[in-house]
Amino acid sequence: MTAVLDRLKAYAGVAPATLVIGVFMIAPLMIIFAYSFLEPNPYGGVRPAFSTGAYTKLFYERDLFDEMVFNATYLKITFRSLWIAAASVAACLLIGFPVAYYIAMQPPERRNLLILLITIPFWTNLLIRTYCWILVLRDTGLINNALISAGLIDRPFTMLYTEGAIVLGLIYTYIPFMVLPIYASLERLDLRLIEASRDLYATKWGTLRQIVLPLAAPGIIAGSILVFIPGLGAFIAPELLGGGKNLMLGSLVQLQFSSARNWPFGSALAVVIMAVVMLTLMLYARNARRNGGGLQH
Amino acid sequence: MSAAIRAERLRKVYPGSPPVAALKSASLEIADNEFFTLLGPSGCGKTTLLRLVAGFESITGGTLHLFGEDIAHLPPEKRPVNTVFQHYSLFPHMTILDNVAFGLRRLGKPRQEAAGKAQEMLDLVQLRDYGARLPNQLSGGQQQRVALARALAPRPRVLLLDEPLSALDLKLRQSMRLELKRLQRETGITFVFVTHDQDEALAMSDRIAVMSAGEIQQIATPGEIYEYPANRFVAEFIGDANFYQARVEQVRDNGATYLTPFGTRLAGPLVEGAEPGRSVTVFVRPEKVTLTAAATEGNLPGRVRDVIYLGDTTDYRITLEQGGDITVRAENHKDGRPLANPGDDVFVELDPSALRVLKE
Repeated sequence: MTAVLDRLKAYAGVAPATLVIGVFMIAPLMIIFAYSFLEPNPYGGVRPAFSTGAYTKLFYERDLFDEMVFNATYLKITFRSLWIAAASVAACLLIGFPVAYYIAMQPPERRNLLILLITIPFWTNLLIRTYCWILVLRDTGLINNALISAGLIDRPFTMLYTEGAIVLGLIYTYIPFMVLPIYASLERLDLRLIEASRDLYATKWGTLRQIVLPLAAPGIIAGSILVFIPGLGAFIAPELLGGGKNLMLGSLVQLQFSSARNWPFGSALAVVIMAVVMLTLMLYARNARRNGGGLQH
Repeated sequence: MSAAIRAERLRKVYPGSPPVAALKSASLEIADNEFFTLLGPSGCGKTTLLRLVAGFESITGGTLHLFGEDIAHLPPEKRPVNTVFQHYSLFPHMTILDNVAFGLRRLGKPRQEAAGKAQEMLDLVQLRDYGARLPNQLSGGQQQRVALARALAPRPRVLLLDEPLSALDLKLRQSMRLELKRLQRETGITFVFVTHDQDEALAMSDRIAVMSAGEIQQIATPGEIYEYPANRFVAEFIGDANFYQARVEQVRDNGATYLTPFGTRLAGPLVEGAEPGRSVTVFVRPEKVTLTAAATEGNLPGRVRDVIYLGDTTDYRITLEQGGDITVRAENHKDGRPLANPGDDVFVELDPSALRVLKE
């Protein structure tokens, strides 16, 4: 009897967490997953009839003669999303690592101040911040006006509504997610190891490659995941800076739920994105286990 | 043959407000193949001096030569010296073998050759079968041996050791002393050893530099340092001593005679500014004084105040009848009984040759 009571008590302890995860995470995911296997209702929502149409729509469409033909549109969008997210990760890494390294090498009081500065952009709404980039990038924007009045160019240089602008927006939005985990792993780095490496004839560059990068690897991987995942499903930057011309997965999903009125297809896309993300995370987890957490110190 | 290391008025000031002069002015010459120790309390500048030689700190003033070559502006990787760090500083993400081979690889040795040499070094420090492990799988003593092997593997011309034994327990420390001395003899590499432990310094060194407050107080062999310390700091830091004031009685060309507070005369070296009547410091090591029950002529009567049992010996604090204290260190009776108990009236036998005059 007491054993049952004890068990109940234990369950009661984790109940709030279970409730939060269940209501706010599992349930919506289940709904999305279920919707992806239903038929669309032309006036929005779904019709309760089983269909794999949403998934076939990813690769095929019906032509004029009502036959299934291969359609690469959504694959293209997926690949564009993948490469834009990957490019953002690479750029964030190139910019973020030196920044994190610089901060980690400062005296402790300075470090906290600099970390605070890194998080300052979060204090303003993302939408507003992304709009500001339009003012900077557009043909009559800050950069073009400056270049023209300096006489360096005589015609505006098109920057807005390009894939480059999307990448720029993603870098700007997600770079703190790269800097912070790398900083966390560099901050724990024993600086005496750098001295030991230099003492053993490694150059500065060699020390970076042989000692600093391997020991910062957990932070680099965590940062890359934190930039890649939201980058893949990003919506605001592609919409505003890509002008909706260069459709990405995030915009595509949004489109299905709003104007296209195809909820099952939107749900299927969300499931696919999630599958890619899960796969990435599992690869990372397996990699971390294989290294036995040896990199974690 | 030039010296392994020659430092002249070497100076290091850390910027800040106020700036800290960690090393005020150090001049020394370390011979090739020497086991040289920098000894001093923490904050005396010994580690700073070592770091200047390794190249981890920039020199504020003075010159630094390694085998005749000016190395003051070379980065650490260009100096043919290696360091054994106090906290080992093994690379946690590399196997023991990769750690030891690290220096050789960076010097451009092919993988095979580097691994072979590294294995030889592991044999030398008696860790033959540990090559495939990671540093955190080894005990502190084993990690210290790996650190030693790693620093020795590239065959540096000078090996710098920064308090390498301080994190080990006493027994391990003592066996590592012998091991270090053996390695130094077998490899013929110049060792510069930093420590705050006087026993370590006396046991291993060919010569010792005693440092205090950013300056070198004395450089000499262990025997000279112990028997003829240059000043009161050295006499107090190495071993124990009883200090007294003596008076200059007579000054000669090559020495002077001093009148001790015990009524004896002492011939000693000429102390700077010595003139008859001036006061100088003399000292005697506690083990050079004997405790006796016999009231022989010249023995000093006194009463035992404290008895401090040390195991192999015992210290007796004695208040002398003529005034002043003296500490006597003596072996116990064979059956372990102390020679005297607190309150006993005893005599102290003080051979005049055991008294030394401090030059400064």
